[in-house]
Amino acid sequence: MDFNLTEEQQMLRDGARRFFREHYAFGQRRALLASDAGLDPACWARYAELGWLALGQPEALGGWACPFVETAILLEEFGRALALEPFVSNVVLCGRVLGCCGSTAPGSAVLQEMMVGRTRLALAHEEPGGRYDADCPAVLATRSGEDFLLRGTKCCVLDAPAADRLILSARSAAGDVFALFLVDAAAPGLRMNSYPLVDGTRAADIALDDVRVPASCLLASGAAARDLLQEALDRATLARVSMALGAMESVLQMTADYLKSRVQFGQPLGRFQALQHRLAEMFVEVQETRSILCCGLAHLDAEGAQRNAMVSAAKVVAVNAARIVGGQAIQLHGSIAMTNECAASHYYRHLLAFEKIHGDADWHLDRFARLRETHAAVTHP
Amino acid sequence: MQLSHTPEEEQFRAEVRAWLRANVPRGKRPRTGLALREYDLEWQRRQYEGGWAGISWPREYGGRGLSLMQQVIWYEECAAAHAPVGGSTFVALSHAGPTLIVCGTEEQKRFHLPKILKGEAVWCQGFSEPNAGSDLAGLKTRAHVEGEHLVVNGSKIWTSYAALADWQELLVRTDPGAQRHKGLTWVICDMHAPGITIRKIPTMSGTGNLCQVFYDDVRLPLANVVGEVNGGWDVSMTTLGFERGTAFIAHQIHLASTLEKLHVMARDLRGPDGRRPAIEDGAVADQLLNLRAEVAALRAMTYLSVSRGARQAVPGPEGNIIALCYAELSQRIYAFAVELLGNEALEMHDENPDWLTDYLDAFKNTIAGGTSEIRRNVIGERLLGLPRGGR
Repeated sequence: MDFNLTEEQQMLRDGARRFFREHYAFGQRRALLASDAGLDPACWARYAELGWLALGQPEALGGWACPFVETAILLEEFGRALALEPFVSNVVLCGRVLGCCGSTAPGSAVLQEMMVGRTRLALAHEEPGGRYDADCPAVLATRSGEDFLLRGTKCCVLDAPAADRLILSARSAAGDVFALFLVDAAAPGLRMNSYPLVDGTRAADIALDDVRVPASCLLASGAAARDLLQEALDRATLARVSMALGAMESVLQMTADYLKSRVQFGQPLGRFQALQHRLAEMFVEVQETRSILCCGLAHLDAEGAQRNAMVSAAKVVAVNAARIVGGQAIQLHGSIAMTNECAASHYYRHLLAFEKIHGDADWHLDRFARLRETHAAVTHP
Repeated sequence: MQLSHTPEEEQFRAEVRAWLRANVPRGKRPRTGLALREYDLEWQRRQYEGGWAGISWPREYGGRGLSLMQQVIWYEECAAAHAPVGGSTFVALSHAGPTLIVCGTEEQKRFHLPKILKGEAVWCQGFSEPNAGSDLAGLKTRAHVEGEHLVVNGSKIWTSYAALADWQELLVRTDPGAQRHKGLTWVICDMHAPGITIRKIPTMSGTGNLCQVFYDDVRLPLANVVGEVNGGWDVSMTTLGFERGTAFIAHQIHLASTLEKLHVMARDLRGPDGRRPAIEDGAVADQLLNLRAEVAALRAMTYLSVSRGARQAVPGPEGNIIALCYAELSQRIYAFAVELLGNEALEMHDENPDWLTDYLDAFKNTIAGGTSEIRRNVIGERLLGLPRGGR
């Protein structure tokens, strides 16, 4: 066992950090936030060129086959930069679902387009009132000749406004079977109501009024589909823990620098022990997040329940850390940190969104509690 | 990153597990006195004879010369097999021995290290004084050179197991004229030397292993000085590096099996409503799960630090992060146990499991070897680069 990064992994991290330093300065990001799309298409094209959009995909399809650790390393840098592009939705969530559906499935062509940056995807899964649980979607798929007709509502579909295609969960009317469909975002009968989230990314509520999809766009169904989606969501949860870790490290560094330079009572704030200890506490929280992320990564290929348990544990620890680090960063900076011109407020908003996306701490604690394997997983990691 | 154990490590684990199954002491460990010393030394002797003592210590002094990760695997299996952790051999194994390995003379190493591994010697620590706690460099116990000896006068306090110990890591002031950190000397003190008096200090947990030690013209050979005369501060930083770095790995790992016991307790005991099992109470279940998640994080933190530390001789200031997390988490775990037990927790008799004693003793975790406040100072100044604050 060795938790040190390999040389290749260090290169990936350093390269990403350099890229974001050069292309994603605070001012550039603020301009993006104010733009219609809320993301940078030129950056997206660069991600494709750098091979990032193919990360973890099967080589047979032109992917960059590598362990999830690489994705986590890259996303830490996304989080540090607060990059707005929908990497998790595309590469981690939808890419995983499509990649697991087999190279002959209809999704593989779409996957290949995604990897080269020509198509963007979003996962339409959550529904109104569902509070993260959508094992039994209300969106109904009924047969109509060779096609399916989809009807119902999805809510808070992350990154949908910039997506060309959706992976959509539904329940087939015949036999009550869970199913995943690949749906064209511009299909007739599909209405999208878009809005920004608190962290500046975009989402949409989606109404489906008998949207017609060919049978070939049924990606998976039954227990296999549910397992596939749950696995992809676990990976996305860990991916976002990585982003949150990068964001926390960055805002911690920023706060440390501020405490060294800001002078009050004739001395730098960082000389006051009460503030030193607050910062030390934030630092420890960040280290704890890094540690539990490693735990999660180590269990990502374990069988379902054990994987669920460790991913939920990771989310619970990271949310707790995010609240402390994000909140104290504002407190230690003072009023300036509440303003849009200070990055601390943007980090806080990112961490707040992180807290709620893919299940909040309560939801994960509850899942953690329901898993019989939890105990074994945590006692013998 | 290699997130799973290598086949060699798994093979090692299997060997450890098989040996422990046959050799872990069965009887309840005495909490204090010579019986405790005998119990701990006997267990250490058995490990030595089995070839398991000093897994990561150099071969030439009786160790196995293996990796720190293998040492960690040993601790994991010890926890799983409910082997005793810590106790009167703790100082010798976790920081006195390691300090000698880094700073000792060849003669000191050849004499002391095998004794430690063979279970022939108990060590204690002589750093804190009545007027020098967190401010260690303010210590006043004096020693002057007389021929081939150091002559020591003064007193050390909060010394665990002093009454059971053969040797002590003793930090004394040898140059009263020099700046605070400059005039100190780290010397190996023979606890059986004439002039040493030991007073036991009763504590609220009733275990009674804490002592104060008085030195009245105690003569220690100069050959016992580790490092240079007046160079003791650097040696003591090495000792504290181990004490705050690797010393508590076994204890951190042990927390997982402590939680296992808590889980069983939460199922067996009635909860706050007096009717249902405690674990069915939402607040209790949440607390248990939060603790579990944090224990898992602490374990990974240990792996991270072992991976990073594999290349350095003495653990750096990063050790303080884990030391701090462990100390505070362990206190919360014992507090939770006492909460689960209700008024049963109050009973002090031998049939009662050790929860109350462990809870009361765990206060030392955020005090001994550097308080949580000192550790946060170190994190702030040495890891985050904040200016040195007022002391």
